[in-house]
Amino acid sequence: MRYLRLFLVFFRVGVLGELSYRSNFVMHLIESIMELGTALAGLAVVFSYTSTLGGWRPAEILALVGVYFLVSGAIRMVIQPSMERLIEGVHEGTLDFTLTKPEDAQLLVSIQRVEIWNITDVVLGSGVLAVALVRLGANVGVSEAAGFAAALAAGGIIVYSFWLMLATLAFWFVRVENMLMIFSSMYEAGRWPVGFYPRWLRFMLTFLIPVAFATTVPAQALAGRLSVSTLAGAYALAAVLAVLSRAFWRVGVRRYSSASS
Amino acid sequence: MGNALAIHIHDLHKTYIVSEREGGVRAALASLVHRKKQEVRAVDGISFDLAPGEIVGFLGPNGAGKTTTLKMLSGLLHPTSGELSVLGFVPWKRDHDYLRQITLVMGQRNQLVWDIPAVDSFELNRAVYRVPAADFRKALDELTQLLDLGPLLKKPVRNLSLGERMKCEVAAALLHRPQVVFLDEPTIGLDVTMQRRIRAFIAEYNRRHGATVLLTSHYMADVVALTRRVIVIHHGKLLFDGDLSALVERFTAHKTIVVTLGDCTADLSAYGEVVSCTDGDVTLRVPKAETARVTGRLLADYPVLDLTVEDPPIEEVIDRVFQQEIP
Amino acid sequence: MRGIADIYAQQFKVTLASFIQYRAALVIWLIGHVLEPLIYLVVWSTVSRSTGGSVGGFTAADFAAYFIVLMIVNHLTYTWIMYEYEYRVRQGTLSPELLRPVHPIHSDIADNITSKLITLPGMLAIAALMSLIFRPAFHPVPWAAAAFVPVVLLAFIVRFLVEWTLALAAFWTTRVSALNQMYFMAMLFFSGQIAPLELLPHPVRVIAFVLPFRWTVGFPTELLLGRLTPGQVLAGMGMQFAWLAVGLVLMRFVWRAGLKVYSAVGA
Repeated sequence: MRYLRLFLVFFRVGVLGELSYRSNFVMHLIESIMELGTALAGLAVVFSYTSTLGGWRPAEILALVGVYFLVSGAIRMVIQPSMERLIEGVHEGTLDFTLTKPEDAQLLVSIQRVEIWNITDVVLGSGVLAVALVRLGANVGVSEAAGFAAALAAGGIIVYSFWLMLATLAFWFVRVENMLMIFSSMYEAGRWPVGFYPRWLRFMLTFLIPVAFATTVPAQALAGRLSVSTLAGAYALAAVLAVLSRAFWRVGVRRYSSASS
Repeated sequence: MGNALAIHIHDLHKTYIVSEREGGVRAALASLVHRKKQEVRAVDGISFDLAPGEIVGFLGPNGAGKTTTLKMLSGLLHPTSGELSVLGFVPWKRDHDYLRQITLVMGQRNQLVWDIPAVDSFELNRAVYRVPAADFRKALDELTQLLDLGPLLKKPVRNLSLGERMKCEVAAALLHRPQVVFLDEPTIGLDVTMQRRIRAFIAEYNRRHGATVLLTSHYMADVVALTRRVIVIHHGKLLFDGDLSALVERFTAHKTIVVTLGDCTADLSAYGEVVSCTDGDVTLRVPKAETARVTGRLLADYPVLDLTVEDPPIEEVIDRVFQQEIP
Repeated sequence: MRGIADIYAQQFKVTLASFIQYRAALVIWLIGHVLEPLIYLVVWSTVSRSTGGSVGGFTAADFAAYFIVLMIVNHLTYTWIMYEYEYRVRQGTLSPELLRPVHPIHSDIADNITSKLITLPGMLAIAALMSLIFRPAFHPVPWAAAAFVPVVLLAFIVRFLVEWTLALAAFWTTRVSALNQMYFMAMLFFSGQIAPLELLPHPVRVIAFVLPFRWTVGFPTELLLGRLTPGQVLAGMGMQFAWLAVGLVLMRFVWRAGLKVYSAVGA
């Protein structure tokens, strides 16, 4: 509860900070619409030739696109800016301020920056998702919705833990900002069901750079094709990564506290 | 409420192991196989205690170990060995109850969020330190008044000048009324007026709230204006811990006599070392023991318009302390 | 002429040095260049499997061939100059370049070519690897392969001119990323990177014929794959020359206008 309150305070501050840059909002909106437009156009071309794609129906792929944009927006709103700021803080020494605050440092660094205008992706993604849900109609019941929420939550934890581990490398290496880009590069592949890709790529997108759990798995839930074992697997991975990333973080902070001056 | 001592340090050490490497390709290749390690003693066995409410100046040249000591006191660094306790807590355990009672201000490093007005960054700190609304209001009002923050609060921090930003940084650090205040070179980079303002503020704050203040600086003026007690550190070792005047007393073998004669024609080298002569003011350096005798002779031998006996400038004293490295 | 040759030699060294420094960033960036054609390769292969083996004359093997070649052609012709210009104008690093007796476009061309020389071997290796995995169907046509060289060269020049001119928008606005995004979306669609242009609806194909995008990426690809008749190739080259002319005129015009704006603000 306390963590939620803190997050809201940081969120509010983040919003306030960006409000003075109103033109940024228009920019973001244009960019988001462009990106979405291209995705939808590609979808339209593909489905002009076939009525199902690898077992997925158009409305289901549309739902996937919606999830893709929604999650992308969420990452670019909080996770990415905060992790980028963390890397700066390690190298500039402003992490010292965070470490002398009477609050868990991992929490503080994870919510420290909010770039609110990326909410356009979240809104657009939700809109697409809503349209997809309408098209899917009666096929989406309570269990699908619950599965979706659960899968999305697990995916969120997995993605966050991954980003945190990447950013924690800043305690050892200097040019880590570039490494953060690896997620964004691979994330492109999340616009289509991960099951389409050859096995080696599927493996990479599931276990190395966790795109599958962020996009395909939640969409699978909505399409009613999410198996319990996959969801259980997602939660297992989420738990493992959460523990691992926190442990790694603590190792990084210990190193920072003993080796720096 | 805790110990009699606010800060207790005994035989504190902080040693770093750094890998050394010379330039050139040969050395680079060699370092792949075998890394030469060097031990750096940043803090080499220092001990001192602070009573609650003291303002103490922690003085030393760059690399002396001041910042390292401060970081150990604020829990940012683990000591290599020694006893260390602040307000009864062991700092590096980073107990949240401990962190709530201290604060750290670092010159030239900002904790304020860049794009938003300072007052919004204050809100962040309020939430993090869990300051009740009424206390926050009171603290903010007082700090606004003491630091003259009124027009600054609503401006985005990036639009403030360096001095204005520093004032806001200091305010942000004190909103939760910490009992112990660590200031690491707070006036560095500021213009003279602003330096004075900050110093005056710290003194007033200490007077009002009895907060223990440990201030590091390499500006003598900071120390002279704010503290009576000075701790001098160099190469990680304590050189001096005591009254500022005692420092001057111990480390100066000389006094400065300034004689106003009207012009610079007279040659006073027989009386002592002539440092300079400007507009008829001759500055002489004489051994302390000789002061009375030389003064008397000058007054007898010359039509002296004015004569003052001074201690040498404190910077000079400190320089000599650093060079001598013996208490 | 001497000055220009010097610039190119100089830029080669500078680019090489910065490559070695920014290795990691480079690798990650190149991932995008490989991943995107790969994604569409997989998607269209999946489509062809769902429709009984082929889509509009493309089998899965044809798609593999198309996208692998597309990847190489895209790599040969791409630029990143529009990202750099915003930085240059903002930081004022453009000013020293303006003092040189040589047009600034040359150092950018040199930088571009150098980067590609360095990364091309890697890309070709990746293309070979992808060929092993996806088993593309190549039907080499000798005259088409020969024509490929001038065509891809033209494609590079046209694309460079267009994108360099686009980069100059930085003189007028800081909102270049939205503009760039619009360009890239159009490029993706009309150059044949989302789907071979043959598969797009007729009105889209007409628009694509008129715009420059197809002639920079899609056209060389289709040529090398042997999917074009000599007549189509000649028409395509004609369009390339047309856009070359347009590009040159536009570039000169925008550059001059941009300089006026830049120096008015204070170079």
